[in-house]
Amino acid sequence: MKHGLMEVITRKVVLFDGGMGTMLISSGLREWEVPESWNISKPDQLVEIHTAYLEAGAEVIQTNTFGANRIKLSSSDAGKELDPVEVNEKGVECARRAIDRFGAEDRFLAGEIGPTGLFYPPVGELTDEEASKAFTAQARTLEKAGVDLFIIETMYDLREALAALKSVRRVSDRPVVIELTFEKKPRGYFTMMGDTPEKEIEAFLSEGASVMGANCTLASGDMIDLVSSFREMTDASLVFQPNAGRPEMEHGVPAYKQHPQEFADDIEKMVRAGANAVGGCCGTNPDFIRAVYDRLTQGG
Amino acid sequence: MESFLKDCAQSILDFDSERAEKLAQEALKRQLPVLDVVEKGFVAGIREVGRLWEEGTLFLPELVMGAEAIKGALAVLQPALQEGKGGHRTTGHIVIGTIEGDIHDIGKTLVATMLSANGFEITDLGADVPVKMFVDEAAEKGADCIAISALLTTTMPGQQRVIEELEKRSMREGIKVIVGGAPCSEEWAREIGADGYAGDAVAAVTLTKKVTGARD
Repeated sequence: MKHGLMEVITRKVVLFDGGMGTMLISSGLREWEVPESWNISKPDQLVEIHTAYLEAGAEVIQTNTFGANRIKLSSSDAGKELDPVEVNEKGVECARRAIDRFGAEDRFLAGEIGPTGLFYPPVGELTDEEASKAFTAQARTLEKAGVDLFIIETMYDLREALAALKSVRRVSDRPVVIELTFEKKPRGYFTMMGDTPEKEIEAFLSEGASVMGANCTLASGDMIDLVSSFREMTDASLVFQPNAGRPEMEHGVPAYKQHPQEFADDIEKMVRAGANAVGGCCGTNPDFIRAVYDRLTQGG
Repeated sequence: MESFLKDCAQSILDFDSERAEKLAQEALKRQLPVLDVVEKGFVAGIREVGRLWEEGTLFLPELVMGAEAIKGALAVLQPALQEGKGGHRTTGHIVIGTIEGDIHDIGKTLVATMLSANGFEITDLGADVPVKMFVDEAAEKGADCIAISALLTTTMPGQQRVIEELEKRSMREGIKVIVGGAPCSEEWAREIGADGYAGDAVAAVTLTKKVTGARD
């Protein structure tokens, strides 16, 4: 019988997958395309990507639904043409096909929720009400389509992250993983809006987050101290998904230069610093996840 | 005068648009040297906001509030600046925008604000601006410089395409091109043949003055 994520995470470090955007771009995604549209137009590609991560050792695969809330989709002409319900349903379907075909037990399907792309005051005019409406609709579709857990990612405003968390809780009792994205400043780690790990922990614990942490913006080397900061403040389950270095332009194309082994070195340090779950974000691919998997399993 | 200038700077640091505008109106009423009020008063304030942002004490919300406050003050002082009552003339016409495919505009807007504060005439095209529009507008306005912002590695190549379009229309000689935005760099500017790169709004003003040959 398959154990739930929250049971598995008490026994071992859980391995999430790597970047989806990165994989879509190397599969031919163009600048003007909405990444989530491939759930409908190129589902086989999605199944292939999910499978590659499963084969690399990922225990949690995340649906290609990062920007599939109504607000984010309506920010582009191409996005306006898409039906959010269909995009999210098909996203789950692709991930489920990959897991079923892969056939191993204890692999989890995480319904992914990303930011609306708008800003709360004073930077913009987004309200809790608008954000909640969009997130609740997306969460409801993902829940109905059959995810094992939810993952709220790359949030840069604690207010929006909380709106997303509450929205998921409104429609589901499943585990919720929630990650903010931090910058490393001279004075410490802060989101673009000035939120801190301390504020994050305080807020999320009281609203029923199952696992919390950070993803994106930071390269793996820069995230190690962040893990320590979190661990000093809480015993809660923590997750971290860094980038593979910073992107550099190579003949007009962005490239991530970090080597999978370097990434795995840093992830190992993060685990020692107290991370309960790890994965990769921008610039990572199955090679990175495989390197981490090998490191986590040989370490003993 | 000095304490008045300090008050101007402080109004920006306090993100107090109302006070900033009141002080701007007072400056006009008292017929104080407008450029000094702008440079040594309000701009000194936003420069400090920028410094605190870089060091991680202030964040995006504060940056935006500071920009709002200085915009308010500049709106009041703009007519006096334009008419040369500040004791200087317009230093040049700048066409500015964020490159196509990219909707980030806060940094670009701050640069436009700072350039305007320093006497430049600004045509702000907004965000997601097609390559051709940069060049069309620059031609129409007889601009001295095009300033292009890109916040994504995937949209940066658009900056190069603007330069290529200028070359195609034999306009490259008569106009400067400067670039900015998080993924950009001096190296990138050199690689694409731009006239310079600036890492923040304050540096952008210095760079623009340099490349347009404007008096400082």
